[in-house]
Amino acid sequence: MSRLGVLYLWGVFAFLYLPMAVLLAYSFNESAYGLSWDRLGFEWYWRLLDDPLLIEATLNSVAVAVLSASLATMVGTAGAVGLHLYDFRRAALFRALLMITLMSPEIVMGVSLLVLFLALRVPLGFGSLLLAHLTFCLPFVTVTVLSRLRDFDQRLIDAALDLGASEVQAIVHVVLPLALPAIAAGWLLSFTLSLDDVVVSFFVTGPDFEVLPLRIYSMVRMGVKPEVNALAALLFGVSLGLVVMSQRLLGRRV
Amino acid sequence: MRPSEGIWWLARGLLPVWLLLFTLIPMMMVLVVSVLTRDETRFIDPVVTLENYQRLLDPVYLRVFIDSVTMAGLSTLACLCLAYPFAYLLSRATQAWRPVLLTLVIVPFWTNSLVRIYAIRSLLAAKGALNSVLLAQGWINEPVRLLYTGWAVGLGLIYVLLPFMILPLYSSFEKLDRRLIEAAADLGAGRWAIFRHVILPLTAPGIVAGCLLVFLPALGLFYVTDILGGAHNLMIGALLKDQFLEARDWPFGSAASLIMILLLFVLLGIYRLTQRLAGSGQMDDV
Amino acid sequence: MKLRLLCLLLLMIPVEHAWSEELRFFNWSDYLPVEVLEQFTHETGIRVRYSTYDSNEAMYAKLKLLGGKGYDLIVPSTYFVDRMRKEGLLHALDRSELPNFRYLDGRHLDKAFDPGNRYSVPYLWGTTGITLNRRQFDPDQVKAWADLWRSEFRRRLLLSNDLREVFHIGLRVLGYSGNSTDQEQIRQAYEKLRSLMPNVRVFNSDAPLMLYVTGEVDAGMSWSGNAFRAQLEVPDFVYVYPREGCSLWMDNLAIPVGAENRQGALRMINFLLRPDIARLIAEKTRYASPNAEAVRQLPAEIRNNSVMYPPPEALSGAEYSLDIGEAITVYAKYWERLKAGE
Repeated sequence: MSRLGVLYLWGVFAFLYLPMAVLLAYSFNESAYGLSWDRLGFEWYWRLLDDPLLIEATLNSVAVAVLSASLATMVGTAGAVGLHLYDFRRAALFRALLMITLMSPEIVMGVSLLVLFLALRVPLGFGSLLLAHLTFCLPFVTVTVLSRLRDFDQRLIDAALDLGASEVQAIVHVVLPLALPAIAAGWLLSFTLSLDDVVVSFFVTGPDFEVLPLRIYSMVRMGVKPEVNALAALLFGVSLGLVVMSQRLLGRRV
Repeated sequence: MRPSEGIWWLARGLLPVWLLLFTLIPMMMVLVVSVLTRDETRFIDPVVTLENYQRLLDPVYLRVFIDSVTMAGLSTLACLCLAYPFAYLLSRATQAWRPVLLTLVIVPFWTNSLVRIYAIRSLLAAKGALNSVLLAQGWINEPVRLLYTGWAVGLGLIYVLLPFMILPLYSSFEKLDRRLIEAAADLGAGRWAIFRHVILPLTAPGIVAGCLLVFLPALGLFYVTDILGGAHNLMIGALLKDQFLEARDWPFGSAASLIMILLLFVLLGIYRLTQRLAGSGQMDDV
Repeated sequence: MKLRLLCLLLLMIPVEHAWSEELRFFNWSDYLPVEVLEQFTHETGIRVRYSTYDSNEAMYAKLKLLGGKGYDLIVPSTYFVDRMRKEGLLHALDRSELPNFRYLDGRHLDKAFDPGNRYSVPYLWGTTGITLNRRQFDPDQVKAWADLWRSEFRRRLLLSNDLREVFHIGLRVLGYSGNSTDQEQIRQAYEKLRSLMPNVRVFNSDAPLMLYVTGEVDAGMSWSGNAFRAQLEVPDFVYVYPREGCSLWMDNLAIPVGAENRQGALRMINFLLRPDIARLIAEKTRYASPNAEAVRQLPAEIRNNSVMYPPPEALSGAEYSLDIGEAITVYAKYWERLKAGE
């Protein structure tokens, strides 16, 4: 690759990482407005632990994320396998629906789900949030698993069936194990999306169930609080961990 | 049917039913609400009217749409220009480097976007990092007022959405068969011709996918305009939020949402078209 | 599967919270020192789930969305108390549970918006005027709302994200009352405000203090307490009572009719009425307290500060916002257009 190419590549990376690096640096600066650099330490990190509302919001977010990811993975994988193996009469409609949900901007989803929930008199809180998160996680899992299935060798399933396995057994013992990396990646992706979601959650959650992104939103709007720098750094670290895990699972594929 | 087969039948049917219930039906409900009237106490009065759409045609709101589309469009274009060469270079990286580089791209993609916007705000603030550096170097005497402007919003949108443009483009470039390029070169085509007639058409689905993933969210990410924008940067996303959660004019908000839904369908249509033209029938992995 | 077990465990977390008594307190942002909540929990054992809003309209919309439930204690301004009690959205207060009520200054009680204070208890009051940074602008040149229209303020002003307060400016500048229900007057105010828009940098009621103190804006509307606190951080800030008349407001504690923990809410109200607590709140927020005993305990330099306690001449032309009934929809339509337009 040419020198210019390398330079450009690292230039864009610098753009992506510089603001976060600055935040990271400030998170260790213990002075009041971050104006002087004489005191460094973990002060703001300890302060975070002192904030019970923040801890609760984090636990809530993780709970919803784990649940939506798990449920979405189950339903999405089943759906993807079904879509791949069978020729539905209405497969085209199914795929279209999948694409629409996938590409739908979050605000449209938030608004339309709010209308749905109000019409059905679903109370806004943990339940409505879970339903909403499940909805936007599903297409991501489905598409991830589906693209893995496409590279699948159909002969393996045929072989299993020839050997007397039922359809279900073939799926459980052949397809799923081979698709496992994609399924796991789908879980991780859903988990991250759910943890990160601001827009949809903003519309469909209730006051009894506070989630982390909304808490952060509130903290950010209220002013410049140094604890947010520490929180940002932590979240960044979590993403890093999740991505590395996901890459390992998927091997060489994206 | 054995019980396991019954469960299997149910399991794989769950997905389409779910999508129907929670994507299609809510959108249709939004359509229905958009032709009803606002009610002070109950949100919606079941009186049919086209008044909400008429209100959208008011120059004030048309202006909001045009400004939003312009801002989103420019941000998308900027992302495209930044990401296209980047994705190409990424796809040409050696096997040893590639996983590392990909990880580096995905990490910001998976980091909480609010936190990233907060980083931009910290950077651009009057007492923020950028101004501190500029003042310290003596290049300016007074802090530059960058926040609460269109530029801040644009930068914020680009910063948050760039990875969404990079990934589909990279996917497209990765699938590119190099032999086609070599064949074209063998047949005597120059570099520009190769680009125009081989690379561009084959990466078109990636381009459209990337634009879809950047343009529509750019219209809807109200927290970007909330945190970085000022009085003159109202975008559709913020308008929708205001209508639904403050002004409580759900019919009007629904009419505005419907415009976005229509945009979604139009862009999806274009995407399908480019996919067919490029010859691939697969869905992109995100 | 281990994962399933983890899910079940995590599912129990939302349930666990129901065990300790909770109070859901919905208040204006930056309006209550966190020490007060901590002390309340310490003394009563009641956990406070505190969330904030930046305008009466946002609070009202949220409450409506949740069907009147969702919060146990809210802090509406006078005209919203008026409106909400007429709509049956507020719970009558049991005065026998509020022994500290006696500390309140009689001048703020039994007003038209809530006769006999059956539904609300005053919390803090103040004015809305102009604040500007002396280093950037000459305070002798800015004495009226009308001065904000000057070209030197182009893209420099902060306005509250508050429909009534912003229209108050538009109406007063034209010589009309801020409580006008006349369609023509409101329309004129809208046109007048439109011409102010090029000077507006940002609408913000979430954290305007932060914007002033960090130097993002140097002039604009401000609530008295914020202006006072801005002065503490950056002494160059000046608070001006506009000639046409500032806005007077008062925020009050009230209990929504759908509140689940009414008892807890009453205990909180009584707690906030305690002179030492009311004094702490006044000191920290720098807003005027309606609690006579608390005011008596304030240090003299705060008690006598003209930003916190306006002198009589400053209040000439000052107006309280009143409930204007149906006319609010006219205002709301113009407000939307104002925020959307150029």
